[in-house]
Amino acid sequence: MNTIRYLSDPTLAPLLWPAIVTGLAIAALCSLLSVLVAIKRLAFIGQGISHAAFGGVGVAAYGASLGAAFLASPLAQFGVVFLFCLGAAVVIGMLTSRGKTEADTAIGIVLVLAMGVGAILLRLARSGVAVESFLFGDIFMVDWTDAITAWVVALLVLGVLWWVRRPLMFWAFDEPAAGAWGVHRRGMQLLLLCLLALATVTAMKLAGVILTTAMLVLPGASALRAGRRLGGVLVLACVVALAGVLGGLVLSFELDWASGPSIVVVLSAAFALARLIELVRARRRNFA
Amino acid sequence: MPPALEYDHVTFGYPGQRDEAGRPRLALDGVTLSVKQGERLGILGPNGGGKSTLLKLTLGLLREQKGSIRVFGQSPVGARRAGLIGYVPQRLEAELAFPITARQAVAMPAALRVAPWRGMSAEQSHAVEEAIALVGAESFAGARVGELSGGQLQRVMIARALASRPRLLLLDEPTVGIDPAGQQQFSRLLARLHETLGLTVVVVSHDIRTVALASDTIACLSRTLHSHGAPEGLTPQLLADVFRHDVAAIFGDVHVDAHDAKACKGHTHAPPKEPRA
Repeated sequence: MNTIRYLSDPTLAPLLWPAIVTGLAIAALCSLLSVLVAIKRLAFIGQGISHAAFGGVGVAAYGASLGAAFLASPLAQFGVVFLFCLGAAVVIGMLTSRGKTEADTAIGIVLVLAMGVGAILLRLARSGVAVESFLFGDIFMVDWTDAITAWVVALLVLGVLWWVRRPLMFWAFDEPAAGAWGVHRRGMQLLLLCLLALATVTAMKLAGVILTTAMLVLPGASALRAGRRLGGVLVLACVVALAGVLGGLVLSFELDWASGPSIVVVLSAAFALARLIELVRARRRNFA
Repeated sequence: MPPALEYDHVTFGYPGQRDEAGRPRLALDGVTLSVKQGERLGILGPNGGGKSTLLKLTLGLLREQKGSIRVFGQSPVGARRAGLIGYVPQRLEAELAFPITARQAVAMPAALRVAPWRGMSAEQSHAVEEAIALVGAESFAGARVGELSGGQLQRVMIARALASRPRLLLLDEPTVGIDPAGQQQFSRLLARLHETLGLTVVVVSHDIRTVALASDTIACLSRTLHSHGAPEGLTPQLLADVFRHDVAAIFGDVHVDAHDAKACKGHTHAPPKEPRA
């Protein structure tokens, strides 16, 4: 059992615990959002936002290498990457209102452009950090500052979600009707996209830019298949997200895999299980 | 007693929409119509004829560019905020994968009025149960919305509109995707609500059967108001004007014979402006 040995090792443990504490915050944060992502079919938009983060990483690294010392601080980096994600979210949100095709194309462009710019700037910055770490996540990039930031963001997002839960649920269930009852449709969409951007930046170091979307899609998609009631679905999404993060980290310790792919493997297994439950339930109903 | 609805030369065009000559294309042009309290009005028109626009104006989601709209003597926004308007949107647009029960769906508009840190009041919960009972949805109020039949879901949507105890019920294409038996049930329910609650009912549809089943008077809308009167006033000639070449689409298998047309009993508000094709 590598996991237990690593976590009790006096030199390794201080490097690993921040990743675990961060992971718990990410699970809490992403699980509730992922239910909304699954219902409002925002998976591809989430993809665009998370890839925009890579462009932000490149800009922050390049700026720091040019001598903008303030960009070297973790909080400033968080800010730059968040602004990038937010920008992508707003652009995508604006284009979505004009129609599905245009949004699809726009997301495709934002996605590759941010990746390209990020790759070039990271190379120019010669930061010494492997590009794969940003793409697939790296436990050792996560320190206590990240862990604290992650929990602050998670509590903030959960607080906002709780505060707007009624208009948000109405909007998610029946958007035209919610509009007719005075819910601001564009406002709700922008708010959700902003929260997605925050979640993306928080999850990025651990899950990686490419795989962060997994946290924003799979818990919700699994929970909607296996759960019956709203409360149950939300709890299930949390359980799946926690299992994904903790299981993924254990896999990562045991097999020395990158953290992002390990999390994705566990989340996908949970999704397969949820789909199985759904199939069995449907079959039972048909024979009943 | 002010009329339930009063449209006075209502004109609206969406920005950027122009005709071939480059002039702004109007979605609604000088629509004047008055609906008495307790009246049942059907608004019939082709797709793209301005029906949805008129609904959005009535709900105060869009603002008329010329003319004025009064709902029970108030502005549309004021009437909506006061809970006077019960709106039943096309149900096809709801996300039925959403894991909520019919009861939760009915309670959604009422819940919007509650501060985030509070729960619904006993009176609000009572209004929700009352609305569920009014449409006869008690037996499936605890079921998930995704498990309901088309007709059941529609009753839930009507209950949601009734939960604020409105005086005007606005229904948008209420029979889309509902089988003939369900449509009969729907028109009986609407008649019962109209009778017991004294509601003013406005049904908007492109389907002549829906409008005829649910209304005392019918207004034909295609950018301008073509007529407003009793259903007998609907002649094939008038419908051909309103729907252009789409008459076959609305009549389906019903045989239309223009030579057999009765005289138009309704009073015509505005003649069609464009020459017939």
